[in-house]
Amino acid sequence: MRVGVLGIGKTPHKIQHNKSLRDLIVEAGRTAISDAGVSPSDIQMLYVGNVGSVGFNYENSTGLMAAHHLGVVPAGAVRVEAACGTGAWALHLGVVAIASGLYDTVMVVGAEKMNDLATVEGTSVIAQAADSKEEYFSGLTFPSGVALTARKYMQTYGLTEEDLAHTSVKNHHYGARNPYAHLRFECTVEEVMRSAKVADPLKLYEVCPMTDAGSALVLCREEILKDQPDKPQVYITATAMASGTWYAVSDGLEDAHKLFAEPAAKAYAMAGVSAGDIDVAEIYNSFAIQEPLGIEGLGFAEQGKGWEGAADGSTWIDGKVAVNLSGGLLCKGHPLGATGSSQAVDIIEQLRGTAPEGIQRKDAAIGISACRGGPGAVGAIHIYQREG
Amino acid sequence: MTVSAIEFSRLGPPKLRLYAMRCGSCNTLQPWWEKFHCYACGAERLTEEELAGTGELTNYTVVYYPPRDFLGQEPYVVGHITMDEGVVLPAPVVDTALEDVQLGTRVKATLRRMKLGHEGDVYYSQKFVLDTPGAEA
Repeated sequence: MRVGVLGIGKTPHKIQHNKSLRDLIVEAGRTAISDAGVSPSDIQMLYVGNVGSVGFNYENSTGLMAAHHLGVVPAGAVRVEAACGTGAWALHLGVVAIASGLYDTVMVVGAEKMNDLATVEGTSVIAQAADSKEEYFSGLTFPSGVALTARKYMQTYGLTEEDLAHTSVKNHHYGARNPYAHLRFECTVEEVMRSAKVADPLKLYEVCPMTDAGSALVLCREEILKDQPDKPQVYITATAMASGTWYAVSDGLEDAHKLFAEPAAKAYAMAGVSAGDIDVAEIYNSFAIQEPLGIEGLGFAEQGKGWEGAADGSTWIDGKVAVNLSGGLLCKGHPLGATGSSQAVDIIEQLRGTAPEGIQRKDAAIGISACRGGPGAVGAIHIYQREG
Repeated sequence: MTVSAIEFSRLGPPKLRLYAMRCGSCNTLQPWWEKFHCYACGAERLTEEELAGTGELTNYTVVYYPPRDFLGQEPYVVGHITMDEGVVLPAPVVDTALEDVQLGTRVKATLRRMKLGHEGDVYYSQKFVLDTPGAEA
């Protein structure tokens, strides 16, 4: 399977009080359409990833809103929702639409406008992505649910809080160099350790901020991109999705591992590559512990050792595989529905060689993105390859 | 969480009880929300079973940034209680200093006010306290 990436676009990731959800959708979408060199009427199907407009913005039908304001009417348009895996799911549907042969050109947009609400209200909206009626009834939140996973991981593999802090140090090193990132400062292990407690053992610098952002891709049949050799020749060569448990009590370390390992195995087979071939990876890390879990799930390290790369350099820009050169969600922020599409756009920039100075991996040719949601419920893997 | 009076009447009463679901096929005990099929074996015959109320804290965190309905309770301990019957349930642990909570702590259930909704919906449910011999719940 090969699906051409005709165009990409993204907005900055930050608190943007002057922009509404539709502003973010149109800004990212128009950038991608312009980059693709097409007009809105060329788009045959629109997939809009958005998690919480009903809760965050008191508006609904985000797909239809996007279709109208991007001017793609009468093409079909639909909103896609799968918790934090939403943007990756929208991408999956776009890729499948092209791969099916039914469409020539489709568009994927992910967007979330989170900062119209105060943190306490936003936390409540986010909690609805888990079972807020039952499991989260007793005061759990997403940070505290993942903190339980962190404690389990640290107990099982004998990790200290300082060991884990290296992950934030690496992400912040690159986030500081990414003009599109929300948090742009470097930090040390000591500063991570001193940052405010959010949900033991997770601290502020190990938790992503709530961010307003949009990102978009125009996808096309392989031949359409091949016929335009002047355009960057980047193709999506694998897409694989999985689901896992929706509940923290049944989300053991093995479950959290399988959520990536199983779709990753399918994706590697589909693309005809192996973990060792990957140059750049964007791995979901709304909370620091999820980066080592992802590194292990994708086969870059053994279980229990995924944190080491941030400490020994092997997941830094010149390492065996460069992980989260964008600064990851820890620095980019986690605009829920835009996160999966943002990971894709960042990998494609790496393969095009157009990533910002200081975060461009030299000669990056094969990339992977891994998005998690639920947080144990969605696993989404995409592989990207540059030709020539 | 915003709820209507109708939804409150459906969600509220079961939260007063402490129960789990017993699988009629593999005999596994599942959390109360697994009422459609057994997460272990997939069988669809599950029956409610009351729990004795004692167990062990097998994982926990301290929440410093609560959801709206828990405002004022922070920082609070919430964790996984492995009940003596074997099922793992999520619940807060209260009436204790944070430093007195650790993995393996024995706890017992007590009916408390769980949270205050912003539309006057008050939920009572099971919280846990340290199960110190001789102490009052």
